[in-house]
Amino acid sequence: MKKSWLDWIAIGLRITLGGIFAYAGVVKILDGQAFADSIHTFRLLPAELINLLAIGLPVLEVLVGGMLVAGLRSRIGTVLVMLMCLVFLIAISQAMIRGLEVNCGCFGGGKPSVAQTVWSLVRDVMLGAAAFFVFWREQKRHG
Amino acid sequence: MTISKQPLSASWKDELLFAVLIITASWCVGLVVNQFRDHPLPLVYESKAERLENTVRSLSVEAKPIPVSAQSFPSELSLGDFEVFVKQGKGLVFDARPEIFHRFGHVPSAISLPREDFEAAYTRLKDRLETKHDQLLAVYCSSISCEDAQLVQAALQKLGYAHVAVFRGGWDEWTRARLPEEKTP
Repeated sequence: MKKSWLDWIAIGLRITLGGIFAYAGVVKILDGQAFADSIHTFRLLPAELINLLAIGLPVLEVLVGGMLVAGLRSRIGTVLVMLMCLVFLIAISQAMIRGLEVNCGCFGGGKPSVAQTVWSLVRDVMLGAAAFFVFWREQKRHG
Repeated sequence: MTISKQPLSASWKDELLFAVLIITASWCVGLVVNQFRDHPLPLVYESKAERLENTVRSLSVEAKPIPVSAQSFPSELSLGDFEVFVKQGKGLVFDARPEIFHRFGHVPSAISLPREDFEAAYTRLKDRLETKHDQLLAVYCSSISCEDAQLVQAALQKLGYAHVAVFRGGWDEWTRARLPEEKTP
């Protein structure tokens, strides 16, 4: 079947999304403590869950990123990306509402700041929208 | 309005099962990877302050009590005071930022004492520090929003150094004022 230009955009977005998630995961795996400290700035999870999340989430990002780049199980891959974006969105939004200066830790450590928080939110929405677009094309392809 | 209950298609069931598998595998792989780190993360999170406190506790076993002078010293320094302090060179200046940032640029004569690697850096500097016990020590980190300088100040105070002041503005304020910088080759 001939691919439309929308399909080609979806392929480009899928590979870009996968690359971004895989990179973000690797950076977090390399400095797990910095990522755990970033999660702590959100004041959302108890101490018992922070390190568990810092241990597992980066690997999930790498695996899902790899799936998207390789084009394997892309439909569920994009669903997982959308779920992760939704979780990040809730975490960042609650931090903004509570007036917390957080460091999202999305691409490793950094200084907590309001500007960083706003940028993280915008970036998260953009990634979620891109994932939704890829999912929509994948869903069409599956019929 | 009636809501029809449609059964989940076989392909979606398969996809969801795969998602559960990949999530489980991620945490299993993560736990294994964590064991191979130089400093594996403990299962329960410890804040920066708690980690530094544990380090100080392990160092305090060997620490000797240091006499406190009667002279009063400030606990915080403004940019002007800090600049004079650096120029006079009467006490030590510590950079609490990660060592890599110290290499790229620091306040002249500042010594790297990173919060995240306090134990190793302090052990290396201990002899030099003890000869300066009656003088003011100044600590800075990246900016007013970073907490590393205050954590290092508290750690040094617990180790018996009574005169430790923080330059709150940190590296950001220093460079914004276009004051001299030094780089570690």
